[in-house]
Amino acid sequence: MFRAELRKVLPYRTVWIILLLFVVLLALFVSAGGSVTLNGQRVGATLYTFPGLWQKLTYVASYFNLLLGILLIILITDEFQFRTFRQQVIDGASVAELLQNKLLLSGLLAVFGMLTVLGLGFYFGLTRAADTASQATVGITGIALYGIQVLGLLSMAALVAVLVRRSGPGILLFLLYAWVAEPLLRFSLPDSLDRFLPAKVFNSLTPLPGQEMIDTVTGPSSALLPTEALPLALVYTALFWGLSYLLLRNRDL
Amino acid sequence: MPILELDNLSKTYGSTTALKGLTLSVEPGSVYGLLGPNGSGKTTTLGIALGVLRASGGTVRWFGQEPNANNRRRVGALLETPNFFPYLSARQNLLLAADVKRADPRTVDQALDLTGLGTRQHDKFRGFSLGMKQRLALASTLLGNPEILVLDEPTNGLDPQGIAEVRDLVTRLAADGKTILIASHLLDEVEKVCTHVAVLQRGDLRAAGPVHSILATADRVILRPAPDTSIATLQQAVAALPWVSDLKPEAAGAYSAVLATGHGPADLNRALFEQGIALAGLEVRHRSLEAQFLELTR
Repeated sequence: MFRAELRKVLPYRTVWIILLLFVVLLALFVSAGGSVTLNGQRVGATLYTFPGLWQKLTYVASYFNLLLGILLIILITDEFQFRTFRQQVIDGASVAELLQNKLLLSGLLAVFGMLTVLGLGFYFGLTRAADTASQATVGITGIALYGIQVLGLLSMAALVAVLVRRSGPGILLFLLYAWVAEPLLRFSLPDSLDRFLPAKVFNSLTPLPGQEMIDTVTGPSSALLPTEALPLALVYTALFWGLSYLLLRNRDL
Repeated sequence: MPILELDNLSKTYGSTTALKGLTLSVEPGSVYGLLGPNGSGKTTTLGIALGVLRASGGTVRWFGQEPNANNRRRVGALLETPNFFPYLSARQNLLLAADVKRADPRTVDQALDLTGLGTRQHDKFRGFSLGMKQRLALASTLLGNPEILVLDEPTNGLDPQGIAEVRDLVTRLAADGKTILIASHLLDEVEKVCTHVAVLQRGDLRAAGPVHSILATADRVILRPAPDTSIATLQQAVAALPWVSDLKPEAAGAYSAVLATGHGPADLNRALFEQGIALAGLEVRHRSLEAQFLELTR
């Protein structure tokens, strides 16, 4: 059945445009980062030194995950708009199979994100801070956490897409939740609770570089450590896919 | 064993009832026409049977089993509009459908040839006319050699030649023993190809059965009494026959009546003769399916 999914996705120009945009924008952002001046000093090559590069890169890449979320929303809402989910059920696909394909697709997108970060990390690290190359593999496991983060965010995007069924409102709702609704909710909730909200949990997987230093000035952060956030992120991911399945199964197509 | 059985099927959308306890079964080898005006519940019926609409009540059985993905793969179905990916070519869309149906990809070529799309197979679906889209949908239903075809308004958007081609295709498939369930407005077409029909009106089943029996109930016998027979005598004699109903005057001193199933004009002639009434003429006026449909859905 996944072959059918690939038949839909591979010839679709929108997919390649968004993926290209993800790579190019992330590369440009990381490249431009070296020219940024902080307190009158250029960040320069220090940005690209191993092993800290991996945490910086995954943190920056987490902002670009929204592009992958938007892509998945488009791919799912297209199926409602073209009524192809409906046709595939008529043709003999089960709702579980259709959703399983989207889950596998989101896995592929997560792998794509991880490979992009890996590629850019090696490229910038080895070309701009070659003297730290011996430590290139230290902390590289953070990319796996980044992959889980992408999967989590995509599960949220899938739920929004199944719920709304139209690309424009779906993308808007997804961005509104990530950028406005949850931050506002966090504002009104005590720190002990807001760190368990889904977007915050996913963000906790790729923490802000130098958070430890900031903590010494502002006091300890309420955010979960990546290791604490990991099981919760997996639970949220499973929950969102499960809800998407129930919605799809119990509504008319 | 029927290929499809619907038992007491109902569907409500909010306060609107789209189907009211529909029961019917489609036997193997039959060409079953589902008739009804817009909003009568034809597409809702097919949507529930095909698993894309949830029934509010009742049951569906395909091949004697609960509906599931496996038995849906034994069905080739076109429901409402042709649904394909606009950015894919006709061929790519059919290959995708073949994957979903677990059908041999080689059947794609046969389906393209049968529907006359061979020369346009590499064109994108978005560039197709409505007629071409409908042909592609028909091609998709044929993939994997399904045991039954479910066609919802298959001639929508087709020109007269296309309509004739679809009718020929359906006739050919039916002649090969394929079971076909077809919802259509084109009563003339249905009458030509269907062996059975069900007539729906506002979610109610008005009539169902073999086409000849549905039409037989619509046939009227025209009686021309001999000149010396009084009308009162004729009415009295007819009233004594419980299988004759709806006696009414026609033009030129003739009368018409409806005979119950199992009784023919010869029975009527004999029964009247036994009561001393001679007829100068007796004939059967056949009604078209269209006339019967209009009567049933009035």
